[in-house]
Amino acid sequence: MSPPESLPEDGSLTPNLSQWFAEEVQPHEPALRAWLRSRFPAIADTDDLVQEAYARLLRVRATGSVACARAFLFITTRNLALNQLRHLRYELPADLAETDTAGVLDESAAIPDTVARAEDLQVLIHAIQSLPDRCRQVLTLRKIYGFTQKETAARLGIAEHTVEAQGAIGLRKCIEYFRRLGYQPRP
Amino acid sequence: MKPLALTPPSDPALEAAATWAIRHDRGLTATEQDEFFQWLAASATHRAAWAEARWSWDDLDRLAGLQTSLHAAADPDLLAPKKRRRAPVYRLVLPILAAAAVVMVGFILLTGRGALTQLVQDGVPGHLALIEQRTLPDGSTVELNRGAVIAEEFSEGSRRVRLLRGEAHFQVTHDPARPFIVEAAGVAVRAVGTAFNVRLETTTVEVLVTEGQVRVDDAVRGESLLAAAPAGEPPVLVAGQSARVDLAPAMVPQVATISAAQIEDQLAWKPRLLDFTNAPMPEIVTAFNRGNPVHLRLGDALLVDMRLSATFRSDNVEGFVRLMESDFDLRAEWRGDGEIVLRRAR
Repeated sequence: MSPPESLPEDGSLTPNLSQWFAEEVQPHEPALRAWLRSRFPAIADTDDLVQEAYARLLRVRATGSVACARAFLFITTRNLALNQLRHLRYELPADLAETDTAGVLDESAAIPDTVARAEDLQVLIHAIQSLPDRCRQVLTLRKIYGFTQKETAARLGIAEHTVEAQGAIGLRKCIEYFRRLGYQPRP
Repeated sequence: MKPLALTPPSDPALEAAATWAIRHDRGLTATEQDEFFQWLAASATHRAAWAEARWSWDDLDRLAGLQTSLHAAADPDLLAPKKRRRAPVYRLVLPILAAAAVVMVGFILLTGRGALTQLVQDGVPGHLALIEQRTLPDGSTVELNRGAVIAEEFSEGSRRVRLLRGEAHFQVTHDPARPFIVEAAGVAVRAVGTAFNVRLETTTVEVLVTEGQVRVDDAVRGESLLAAAPAGEPPVLVAGQSARVDLAPAMVPQVATISAAQIEDQLAWKPRLLDFTNAPMPEIVTAFNRGNPVHLRLGDALLVDMRLSATFRSDNVEGFVRLMESDFDLRAEWRGDGEIVLRRAR
């Protein structure tokens, strides 16, 4: 599939972004589709999901760094799929707590140092790093490993509503941290 | 100037917005859906906070997969502070206080805000790292450009400094009994009382003399690398001259006389005090951008007319940006490419 037409800024991909898309993103599409089909058989049309995930990825990539395109893609697509199932009022798969995004991600290559050191990623890393322990663990599992709330609760051995409350506190503190640094969305 | 709020007061709209962002992520129940729309419709503040929370929550997805391949099992303590658990591969950002970074900023002192936080990457000089000024045991001073590394070997009879990486400027105190020698990749620059700059690159060593004179020798054989002067005097490099020594195949220096403007240009990395009196913002930004790897840009036409009086070290871009944010109601956007765009906060 080619990059989506609905792009954030001026509607066209810069040569850099196109190259990045071709090299870092598109190669993962077959695996992503296979995984989607096996995890979410109830979703008939996966094109829209993949397209939307691409659009989101390009949007964040156009304004900064992304640690791992493959991970971003799988996690975003999974979240979109879950959303769609909720809207369709499907029963969520019972074994969802075992969603294997982590397994999928393990195949990915190590993240280059240069990427991990990108200034904007460092802002995010430090935001999480400076949180109280529980908040930090919740945000780490949710954002770096793409765990759902339920999976996070299981992994940390705490109640789901605690994960939710700690997540909200963590997010608020991250936002306050972003505000202090002036790290905010473009107008 | 507006009065300063030292700690942000608790922000109920933000608190609620963060909670809603998390709930949205797991899916709202029908009741929650209604409750959410009511909350959202209640005020513009709610809507702004919601947009910010939503953006921030999504933006954190940039971290997805960070280190996943190295930690097959998900590690909730991946980002734990170092004292309990070292992040194995990447050194993470540490906030350090750079009280010395702002040499003097009158209004900061007046409002009791002296220390500005500086972000650097531990061990790796980020391009926001300050240029280091160091005083050697003999009173000579050295300024290390970002990333430069030196090792001192001082003894009774000599003052030796090895430049292991990068670029440094030396201001040497006069002591004829103890020659001051800077060694870089086998090139020895020997001074008595003088000032000079040495830059070590992969295949060259460049020496620029800004005061007095130096000898440039082969560090092993002790012989001069410079061509002998006609009168038979030992060859030296004098103020206003530079020698660029190619390290391979043979150490052959190219000596050039350079203009004051070129010297200034080459030494533009050295931090200066920028003293602004009622200066327009474009002028301030230009001054900071000269010799700094981070570039400031005014992203807002309104800023062009803004004027400011302050004194900063020229390499302290970050301190300047923080001040603009905290005291002048500007917003800085840190772009990945080393550009910082300043805008008026709305």
